[in-house]
Amino acid sequence: MALTTPDLQALEEQVPRDIARTVTRGDRIFRTLCASAAAVSLFIIGGTALFLAIKAVPALQKAGLVSFFTTSVWNPTVGDFGVLGLLIGTIIIATVSLIVAVPLAIGLALFINEYSPARIRRILTSSVDLLAAMPSIIFGMWGFFALQAPLVGVAAWLNLHLSAIPFFRLSEADAPLLRSSFIVGTVVALMIVPIITSVSRDVMAQCPRSQCEAALALGGSRWGMIKEVLLPFGKAGITGAVLLGFGRALGETIAVALIIAFTVQANPYVLEQGGGSIASLIAIKFPEAQDLEISALIAAGLALFSMTLFVNLGARAIVRRTQIAA
Amino acid sequence: MTTVESPRTAADTATNRQVVSSELLAEEPHGSSRIDATDVTCWFGKRKVLERCSLSMEPGKVTALIGPSGCGKSTFLRSLNRMHELVPVAAIAGTIELDGVDIYSEEMSPTEVRSRIGMVFQKPNPFPAMSIADNVLAGLGLSGMSHEDPKALVEQCLRRAGLWAEVSDRLDEGGMSLSGGQQQRLCIARALAVHPDVLLMDEPCSALDPISTRVIEQTIRELCEEITIVIVTHNMQQAQRVSDTCAFFLVESIGDPGRIVEAGPTAQVFENPSDPRTYDYVTGQFG
Ligand SMILES: Nc1ncnc2c1ncn2[C@@H]1O[C@H](COP(=O)(O)OP(=O)(O)OP(=O)(O)O)[C@@H](O)[C@H]1O
Ligand SMILES: [Mg+2]
Repeated sequence: MALTTPDLQALEEQVPRDIARTVTRGDRIFRTLCASAAAVSLFIIGGTALFLAIKAVPALQKAGLVSFFTTSVWNPTVGDFGVLGLLIGTIIIATVSLIVAVPLAIGLALFINEYSPARIRRILTSSVDLLAAMPSIIFGMWGFFALQAPLVGVAAWLNLHLSAIPFFRLSEADAPLLRSSFIVGTVVALMIVPIITSVSRDVMAQCPRSQCEAALALGGSRWGMIKEVLLPFGKAGITGAVLLGFGRALGETIAVALIIAFTVQANPYVLEQGGGSIASLIAIKFPEAQDLEISALIAAGLALFSMTLFVNLGARAIVRRTQIAA
Repeated sequence: MTTVESPRTAADTATNRQVVSSELLAEEPHGSSRIDATDVTCWFGKRKVLERCSLSMEPGKVTALIGPSGCGKSTFLRSLNRMHELVPVAAIAGTIELDGVDIYSEEMSPTEVRSRIGMVFQKPNPFPAMSIADNVLAGLGLSGMSHEDPKALVEQCLRRAGLWAEVSDRLDEGGMSLSGGQQQRLCIARALAVHPDVLLMDEPCSALDPISTRVIEQTIRELCEEITIVIVTHNMQQAQRVSDTCAFFLVESIGDPGRIVEAGPTAQVFENPSDPRTYDYVTGQFG
């Protein structure tokens, strides 16, 4: 049988063809609804930023854009404003709270999931969720009245034994230890423990049983399983949970305003009385502010808004990166 | 039956971290062990799923557990290395002795039991975040052991699991990049790395194609010279091909616990069973 010569036309390089996409009416309506919801949320974020920016202009003009972010003063009578110290204070308080909260939250999450008996697990889970929903003023009052005294003791101990670490030093030997960034940070930590616990607990509970059993069947201890299987599995989610907590700590207002001895200058002595944050500035100054001071407070709010936005974007980037690595 | 068995709580005794000297992990595996299960009864909550099962698993032999679905083969297998107690409501009665030592007694911790009695699961479950080599070594890190020449151990275990030739040039790739059959052999290699005396396998080939199945069966035959193997299988031909001893489990009527109907040399169980129910099952005339 004679072979026909191959048809050159047929051997031409193929290109992807069009695929007909028919969209049903229901789909179209639903898509429109979803798209409008997305548009609304974008509008809210954009609108907030725009509103803050416009209202902030007078104060920023008076104080000077650069000096607003590089000095630490708050003098409404002459229109001199600068929030550097408060930005630093915000980060100090949020960092203290993370250092206290993260080990507590992850330990609690692991205890609930891995070690506690079923009945206690249910009780703990619902109390954590309850705490997450607790208004922050409650924590603030509790911190003010009940926690200060014991925490002052802790602060004195830290200063006595760990003053090799710069953070635990005092400006002078008998500096007052009440109403410090350390105490505020610890109270804020208690407020963010629930959210970090509940998110990381959920994430680690997703770990396939077969993975955990594989680890135990190899002769692994509980801790070995946690270290080699659960934590690597939950890494991205836990990072997200921690940053979520950090975001909350940055914005926490009432508890900070209630407890801290407010100063606009940054106070590097974490254990010592005095400190501040942007959110507490707004809460403390707003009731009596007028004209230019209101504009300055809004400018400070804008600074907090951008900081929180960056933390969240950073959180996302980190979560995405760890997800790819896993 | 008048005697009442009381469930013993399979409490996790304190997990002693073993420090295994490198001699124990040296090239030559130590002689294999025997397991003697006596009157094993298992509960999930109030429900008794297995009653008075006694079976001896001889050193260096392959024991196959067969029987219809739900008759308690997996439960029995998991009771042999204290995986049963991981289910919160689980309870067990009877004794299981590894070379004469009761594995549920104070004399052994669960971690020690599990590193001496390894397990391969029905679904391949390599650790997804680890490379092939790290998967093999995972058991060492998990149980706090160390090995002076990890590279050599990886090669040795992969060779014994019949996987070395296929992966020797890609040890750093993720464990999930392998095919299902290769993943299962990786899991076997991982179990071998902690030098178990016994290897339990729960339907290790049920998710695999005939060729991968053959490779694993061959691996089992090679391993059984050094390690005691207990395998659950639904495949009658496989039980005949790989096992020396065979135990037939059965739930007689719905709601009853599973029992061992017959156990003995594989050839006898398949060719000349003493119980008519065994005959029906192995000849495929069941139900
Ligand atoms: N975690 C559990 N909780 C409660 N009951 C369980 C649990 N695991 C198994 N069972 C019950 O125990 C009985 C025995 O189950 P088992 O898994 O041992 O059967 P099997 O013989 O391995 O079945 P298959 O061949 O389908 O794997 C079944 O009736 C099952 O419903
Ligand atoms: Mg089973």
